Amino acid sequence: MKHFNREKLSTYNGKNGTPAYIAYKGKVYDVSDSFLWRGGEHQVIHKAGEDLTEALEEAPHGIELLEKFPVVGLLK
Amino acid sequence: MAKVTREMVENSGIDVDELVELLVKNAAAELTTFYYYTILRVNLIGLEGEGIKEIAEAARIEDRNHFEALVPRIYELGGELPQDMKEFHDISGCPPAYLPEDISDVNKILEVLVGAERCAVRQYTHICNITAGKDHRTYDLALAILNEEIQHESWFSEFLGEGPSGHFMRRGETSPFVSKFLE
Repeated sequence: MKHFNREKLSTYNGKNGTPAYIAYKGKVYDVSDSFLWRGGEHQVIHKAGEDLTEALEEAPHGIELLEKFPVVGLLK
Repeated sequence: MAKVTREMVENSGIDVDELVELLVKNAAAELTTFYYYTILRVNLIGLEGEGIKEIAEAARIEDRNHFEALVPRIYELGGELPQDMKEFHDISGCPPAYLPEDISDVNKILEVLVGAERCAVRQYTHICNITAGKDHRTYDLALAILNEEIQHESWFSEFLGEGPSGHFMRRGETSPFVSKFLE
């Protein structure tokens, strides 16, 4: 399994054909195939390439929606 | 645009451009859902399908009403709808509610319907969360739409047998919560 730091994670922002990765509680998920993450953005305010652990605590959904997507690595 | 309205919302700490973008994406979701529900509805046939057709129709009409109710708020806040309908479709805040492969499988149609409603419930909860106590008019509108989306979700969920039913068929006119925003 790949290891990411925040700088490396930020390159997977879903822009210009790059995959869209997001981190939650140390796991990095590939959400590129999600309709709701098209263009590397979700709900206008959330961006791919970031650790969204805090944001997800306030989201109108739980981890179950994120768990549908593959874990591609761990965030250091 | 309603200049002071926008100013008040900005002063409350809300990023108005982001809020408008959310409203436009949700307006797109409502209008595209209205379209896709039309196709789902016409395929609800037979002994099982006909029993669900009426609530699918109520949800379809109410989603169109949601679109109508959202548009004035978008323009009040200085936003606008895209000129191109294709672009509008593609920026939808929720995935297209496509007809399932097996159109005779009523449960699969119900799963599409409940999935679309669940996306909408999350979208409007999100808008309520960011506008509560700040942008009263958008909050009031989003809450009214949320109330109807929650009912839609419950109807379809209960037809899928996901849990006991606390709901009855809608009595009277459609959009009991949103009608006050329809001019």
